[in-house]
Amino acid sequence: MLKLFKEIRKTGCATVGYPFEPLAQADGVRGKPEHTADACIACAACAVACPPNAIQMIPDIEEGTVTWSINYGRCIFCGRCEEVCPTRAIVLTKAFELAVMSKADLETKSVYRLQACSVCGEYFASRKQIELAARILGQDSDQTEVLQAIDGLGICPTCKRTRDGVAASNHAKLTGGVR
Amino acid sequence: MIIDREVPGSLQFQPTKVELDEEVAAAKATLLHDIKRSVYLYRCDLGGCNGCEIEIFSTITSVFDAERFGIKNTASPRHADIMIYTGAVTRSTRLPGLRAYAGAPDPKLVVAYGACGCSGGIFHDNYCVWGGADKIIPVDVYIPGCPPSPAQTIYGLAMALGLLEQKLHAETTVEADDERAPLRFETIPYKVRVEIEREARRLAGYRYGCDLANEFLTTLMLADVDVHGTMTQFIASQDDPRRVEIYRRLYDVLMSHARSDG
Repeated sequence: MLKLFKEIRKTGCATVGYPFEPLAQADGVRGKPEHTADACIACAACAVACPPNAIQMIPDIEEGTVTWSINYGRCIFCGRCEEVCPTRAIVLTKAFELAVMSKADLETKSVYRLQACSVCGEYFASRKQIELAARILGQDSDQTEVLQAIDGLGICPTCKRTRDGVAASNHAKLTGGVR
Repeated sequence: MIIDREVPGSLQFQPTKVELDEEVAAAKATLLHDIKRSVYLYRCDLGGCNGCEIEIFSTITSVFDAERFGIKNTASPRHADIMIYTGAVTRSTRLPGLRAYAGAPDPKLVVAYGACGCSGGIFHDNYCVWGGADKIIPVDVYIPGCPPSPAQTIYGLAMALGLLEQKLHAETTVEADDERAPLRFETIPYKVRVEIEREARRLAGYRYGCDLANEFLTTLMLADVDVHGTMTQFIASQDDPRRVEIYRRLYDVLMSHARSDG
């Protein structure tokens, strides 16, 4: 009997203290993906990467907004969103206490404004994304090409193609056509 | 680029949900908050991958020991107070799920377990999947995770029994007028940063590469005058030879840029 008690004392208690004390977690544990709304540029890279479509981008053309949303009830905690995020706005934390009583509480949303094309007036990207691209380009140098690129940031891809096509045909007329 | 991915709900069969009558609902509310005895749980697999089952059973092992709270696993729904539904509810498991639900005595708590049980998870838009236990039966607690860890399971069950508070709440943030995303590593030229990040990801994989590049660039940002000295010291201070190798290569990338830029 004493031998048994000794053995028990030597072995110790294997049970963790949770929930009475914080849980010790290993490095690299993939918990709740935490979204920093300020740092997000609504580029939708995470929505494209998300395997179960837990992250979705729903545009509202009437309002001129796009709503980023994550459904933690569908998330499989794979970390692909963290991998692709260009601004590290979404990072997997170690938080795991995600259980809820009502399904609506599983969803987190962020609303972002859209950028209208300066030529045709249609929405084509989020405002913050364009703004960040302008800053990155401006950081590089003050070459004419860069300045031109910054100038064309507010134009949607379709209008940009039209503009380039018109410029090319004008140039061809001036120089006597394409050889 | 804006994407709009509606779940093809119209293509999926929408089963009729079991509704609670008032008397049972009242009894259930009492059970939910004032349970004063051990609870027995019955685990019901509705087309899961068995990952959730493994986690449920590791919850009742000695490390996490759910029996501390009187939570015991039972083999029959007839003895159950808590029904745990795992899996995305496939076409062929709907009826067994309903039979198990009917077999358990009222009042009973229903827990939707795992990403599949909560909303169908990665199978949410599959043609033969009904997408979560709450499509067929009234669910009291949702425990997300793929699979939920034992600690998360204990938290969810404790919440179901009114022992712990709910932490996650629905939240909507709206973009402020002059909100700007911070530019990362502002003083490092964009091209250099991208090349370092790319090389780190090529060497260490996407996730760890990202972490390593971050650490490298943060140190580089802080090194103001003596870049060579700081970086050499930083590389030398690493314990892991793999890190040393990767940082050395990142440093080579940095130096090749410094040389070409003059």
